[in-house]
Amino acid sequence: MRSHEEIKSSLGAWLDGELAAAEAAEIQLHVQGCASCLGEKARLEKLESSLKNVLETEASQIAFEPFWAGVRRRIAEEKSWRARGLDWARDFLTLPRLAWAIPVAALVIWFGVFSSWDWPFNSTNQAAVESIDGHGYNVALLREAKTKTAVIWVFDNQESEDDSATTPAAAESAF
Amino acid sequence: MTPPRRLLQPNLLFSLWLALMSVPLGAAEKDEPPALQLKIGTILATNQADCLDSQLSKMKPQLEVIKYRCYRLIREESKKSSWQANTVFEIPGGRSLVVVPQELRNNRISLKVRLLEGEKPIVDTTVRFPNKGNFLLGGPAHEGGVLILSISAMTAGQ
Repeated sequence: MRSHEEIKSSLGAWLDGELAAAEAAEIQLHVQGCASCLGEKARLEKLESSLKNVLETEASQIAFEPFWAGVRRRIAEEKSWRARGLDWARDFLTLPRLAWAIPVAALVIWFGVFSSWDWPFNSTNQAAVESIDGHGYNVALLREAKTKTAVIWVFDNQESEDDSATTPAAAESAF
Repeated sequence: MTPPRRLLQPNLLFSLWLALMSVPLGAAEKDEPPALQLKIGTILATNQADCLDSQLSKMKPQLEVIKYRCYRLIREESKKSSWQANTVFEIPGGRSLVVVPQELRNNRISLKVRLLEGEKPIVDTTVRFPNKGNFLLGGPAHEGGVLILSISAMTAGQ
């Protein structure tokens, strides 16, 4: 059973139809026999009626068109690449993601510097010939295209005078 | 902000663990490079017929730049080598190949190679190539064809 004060504070909700049926019935019964509550009910009904009248008369005078025009303009306005980049960075570089970046970077550095892990760009057989001395023989340096393998070909001086000796097979070595 | 703090703590601990693990391993590689395994494959290239030794099938793309018709592996020898020390391989036709490993840097091996015919040097070269990689040295005449040496090296334990 609700007290008088509790019922009085629930009058607004009751008038708005927000209460359950049993609760509403209890309040209605109390209000019928309570002068104070009847007065409060009348005051609330008058207030609601006044607000409704004001909204109905004033709403037509409010200029909504400039507001909607502004919304449409901002939607249509394309952001610059810099603004889009900043938005993306703000969304991407969240603290949890940055936190994961630390161990990932550490792992990459660890593999790259301290292990014999083959980097993708080292996957070819690319060799660098740092010095070469043919001791009087001619030396040709070839590189196979697919695996980048270096081929050092040694042939004697006589063959170098033969213009047709452009490939190792043609340059039959004789030393 | 509770979630980031919860994420940060294990990540930072993991990073610290990696950093601590890296120090002794890195120092070991820097101070003492691992021993080296050298392998010399001696290939006889001729033009007598079309053929490719089955043992050379993996090397087919490498050999395509050398325009011979037939390739046969006639000798293959592996030796463990020390850095800055001579390792001598016998090559058919009274020749020899002296290999001196120079250094290991960025997982690339530098080898000083000297091919001799008897006592007479034919070629001296220094080549740097990837660990487990190879290069070819060819040209000496042998039995109607030419010899091609596949010189490869890898750090021990690879």
